[in-house]
Amino acid sequence: MESIRRGARDAFAPVQSAANDVINPVSDFFGGLFRYGHLKAENTRLRRQLADARGKVNASSNDERERQELLALQKLSFADNAPTVAARVVATSPSNFQLTVEIDRGLPAGIQKGMPVVTGAGLVGKVVAVSQERATVLLLTDPSFNVGIRFSGSGDVGVVRGNGTRQPLPVDLVDLGTKVAGGEIVVTSGLQGSVFPPGVPVGKVRAAKVPPGSLQQEVSIDPLVDLTRLDFVKVLIWTPKAATP
Amino acid sequence: MNNVRAKVPLVLLVFLVVELTVLDRLRVFGAGPDIMLLLAVMAGIVGGPRVGALFGFAAGIVLDLFLQTPMGLSALVFCLVGYAVGNIQGGVLRAAWWIPIVTTLVASVAGVLFYALVATVVGQPHLVTTHLLVVAAVVGIFNALAAPFALRMVRWSIAGPERAYI
Repeated sequence: MESIRRGARDAFAPVQSAANDVINPVSDFFGGLFRYGHLKAENTRLRRQLADARGKVNASSNDERERQELLALQKLSFADNAPTVAARVVATSPSNFQLTVEIDRGLPAGIQKGMPVVTGAGLVGKVVAVSQERATVLLLTDPSFNVGIRFSGSGDVGVVRGNGTRQPLPVDLVDLGTKVAGGEIVVTSGLQGSVFPPGVPVGKVRAAKVPPGSLQQEVSIDPLVDLTRLDFVKVLIWTPKAATP
Repeated sequence: MNNVRAKVPLVLLVFLVVELTVLDRLRVFGAGPDIMLLLAVMAGIVGGPRVGALFGFAAGIVLDLFLQTPMGLSALVFCLVGYAVGNIQGGVLRAAWWIPIVTTLVASVAGVLFYALVATVVGQPHLVTTHLLVVAAVVGIFNALAAPFALRMVRWSIAGPERAYI
């Protein structure tokens, strides 16, 4: 069954690429026409952000070194060391019930089922199907998606669960004693057997509260990556087995 | 060209390509049209339960090739939708122009809800949420808008001599 699906996707790949070549300029044209002002504002904003970011890079290189040392101390392999494959998002899901994207790299690039997919900002999802020409990525926001996380402040863990497009992601199993700050970054925990390497940024805490009588906190996060407007992503050539020392 | 065997696959292919390349960009409240389901509904209206079921199955199975959901899930659901529409609405083609549109609206909404139900039964428990109602409404409206056009294409495809093989 898997191989039939793989064949169908490969057979369809050229049609899809051709269609994209035709449709993209058209939709970009109209998009640009209607959103000219917005694009201009965005451009200014991005320039400012870039300048800010350049400053922060200098400041953070020191923190980064400390973090690397800590990771090395704990004998955790970090995803930074894993080779990556850059890929372009060529289609989203045709179904209303599955939040996936198709990317234009497949088996020949070394992509395998289960590999994590990221952008510069953080976690996007994981690979759920691969063929010669394409790979399908299940997004973080899909309701069947789960990932173990760690709060960057306290180091305590929880499990993030997808909740649909543009919905905040709930975090389960957060201890009552855990101090959670608004805006805090959560990263993948990478605990043993996890399908994700440790330290990949996932989201930002949106809200946290303790409902009366509950045994766990109610925490929700916003993903760091805008999953509705993906263009280029990176697949980490990383499988849990490779990470076990 | 009056050959059903060539025209039906052609229509299926055109709908599939449009679904996978154009309509995946079209999202309102996180939901988009489902023209493969629309195809099943149209076939039911035009050709009755038998044609509806066959068309629905074919449309569902080719769509399933591009989804992660269990293989055959869409095929089963679309097949039953096509059959049901054919039973209820087959032959009303010569009634008022808006009847196929309303039928499409109702059948698409019902089809989406039914899909979620069957998916839950076969072990995809994440579909039945409040968002499901939004999806059903969006699919219903989009499909209803596309109905007059799709109806013409489906009618053209199966208008062979005596609908020989179906």
